[in-house]
Amino acid sequence: MNTKRLLLISLIALGALALSACSGAPVANNWYGLAADAEHAYVSGGSFVYAVDLKNGSEAWRYPAEADNKIVFYANPVLTADGQLLVGSAGTTHSFVSLDPATGRENWVETFGQGTWLASPLVLNETIFAPNTDGFLYIRNLNGKEAADPIKLGGALWSAPTTDGTLLYVASLDHNVHVIDPARGVIVESVNLGGAVPSSPAVGANGAYVGSFASTVEFVQPDGSHEIVANAGNWVWASPVVDGETLYYADLDGGIHSLDLASGKQNWDGVQPDGPIVANLLLAGDQLYAATESGSFFALDRDGKVVWEKTLDKAIYTPPVAAGDLILVSPYQADIALAAYDVTGKQAWTFTPAK
Amino acid sequence: MWETIIIQPMTNLLLWIYDALGHGPHTFGLAIILFTVAIRAITWPLNASQVKGAQAMQELQNDKEWQEIQKKYAKDREKLAQEQMRVYKEKGINPFASCLPTLIQFPIIIGLYQSIIRALSATPFDMLKLARTAYPFQNVEGIIPLNSTFLWMDLSRPESIPVFGFALPTLAIIVALTTYVQSKLTMPTSTNPNDQSAQMSGMMSIYMPLLLGWFALTFASGISVYFITSNVLGIVQYAATGRANWSSLIPGGNKNKKSPAKK
Repeated sequence: MNTKRLLLISLIALGALALSACSGAPVANNWYGLAADAEHAYVSGGSFVYAVDLKNGSEAWRYPAEADNKIVFYANPVLTADGQLLVGSAGTTHSFVSLDPATGRENWVETFGQGTWLASPLVLNETIFAPNTDGFLYIRNLNGKEAADPIKLGGALWSAPTTDGTLLYVASLDHNVHVIDPARGVIVESVNLGGAVPSSPAVGANGAYVGSFASTVEFVQPDGSHEIVANAGNWVWASPVVDGETLYYADLDGGIHSLDLASGKQNWDGVQPDGPIVANLLLAGDQLYAATESGSFFALDRDGKVVWEKTLDKAIYTPPVAAGDLILVSPYQADIALAAYDVTGKQAWTFTPAK
Repeated sequence: MWETIIIQPMTNLLLWIYDALGHGPHTFGLAIILFTVAIRAITWPLNASQVKGAQAMQELQNDKEWQEIQKKYAKDREKLAQEQMRVYKEKGINPFASCLPTLIQFPIIIGLYQSIIRALSATPFDMLKLARTAYPFQNVEGIIPLNSTFLWMDLSRPESIPVFGFALPTLAIIVALTTYVQSKLTMPTSTNPNDQSAQMSGMMSIYMPLLLGWFALTFASGISVYFITSNVLGIVQYAATGRANWSSLIPGGNKNKKSPAKK
């Protein structure tokens, strides 16, 4: 084989290798999902769902036993009243799994939906409402079987529905928040907010507060009426938090805001810790917890004053979760998958999955 | 570096075209086609020089003087190489002119693949990256999420059409065919059995369709739209020069064709 021919084949092989490195069908890459009950924290950590003992941060179980490159978990797992742990796969296999939260044993696996599961389901009246990136809201019974026809909403659905007990509010990337009557399985209203809505609405009195890429927080009512309650400096990615007459919200500029819903006035100005905020804010006890893309984790009091701050070095996108007297945080692509702090900011433990 | 000079401009160009087209269904596919036209227009001089370079090399292979030099120094490779460089210089041939456009294709393909995946943002993390990629003048809030539907395809995924229960990779076949047609048309004919450039062209016309067909089979179908558009434009560009060797598309079609140098 002469040199030119060898060079040509090498170039072609190099090109093929370079493109192969980009991977074939897009492999989902996202931050971890997180949930907790009284015993365990549950981390949707890519290839596995991990159960972590809240007492000491040790691994209680993982699912599946062996990694399968067609299955990846990123959605926040959901615990049901009848003792199931539900989580869907964002891999090329769109499996939706029910596990025993105590043991990690598989209760059932169903494969439905054309897209992936990035959103957590909502369980209401023994029915699972599961939003998929294919734009459908799937309605299943607690055995995973179809309970009603899926509802076509349009746009990718990335966040869990929220409910006031009667109606569902489902956010969509197609710029709409859909108000759904779950009893009839119909869309009551679809409200266009002028920007994609990546996170769950926060239910308030007779409506829901919704942040969007239009850099606003709007109040959406079941009859479809809506009004801007706050303009933010940048996209509002994180779900707002409603606490009585106070609305907490954050934006990609890193601003954390507290709005008095009665007067429409801001309770404080200029609380902007150190980086964009994607993770939902967490209100637990008397403290508001905020995690930033810069890798910092803050506890603030109700006046917006920083009570304590921790640095995790890696970006934090996963919404923090309260578990008993612990606050759980999962940094993105860090050595540790999970860190637990008490309310004073003292680190209780960290969890690093064994290889 | 790669991000700043390749991914960011490409992604923004795609977003801008998508927005200008009205960001409805099918417009992302149209944006890729227009993007390809723009790339082809930018690399037009390079492609033209590739065609010229290939023709010049071919004419050289059929040149009597060069054939005699090859015979004379058949056993002295060093001297032959010196003579080759001298002849190149005399005739104003750049031996790399025909390779450059092909080499330039690879970063474009890799960059385009990454830009398509970035623009379509399948996950929240991808969306966050897209937000950082977009230039300030872009109407990002208004146009995302991008509609990945084009004709029957989802541009973010490999394409196939179910036929009798079998997933027929239509685009991969079209990519392979158009690549074959383009390389065969542009492949110069030669009567010289020792013509290495003709041998290499022959290999290219077999390997490239297979390689690009495999890419189309494996990667997001948006890449296939790029390949097909680029191939068709390449064929049109070459045909416009009047040198397209249509008979070479048929196996054995070259045998009766005289080379330009023998005319």
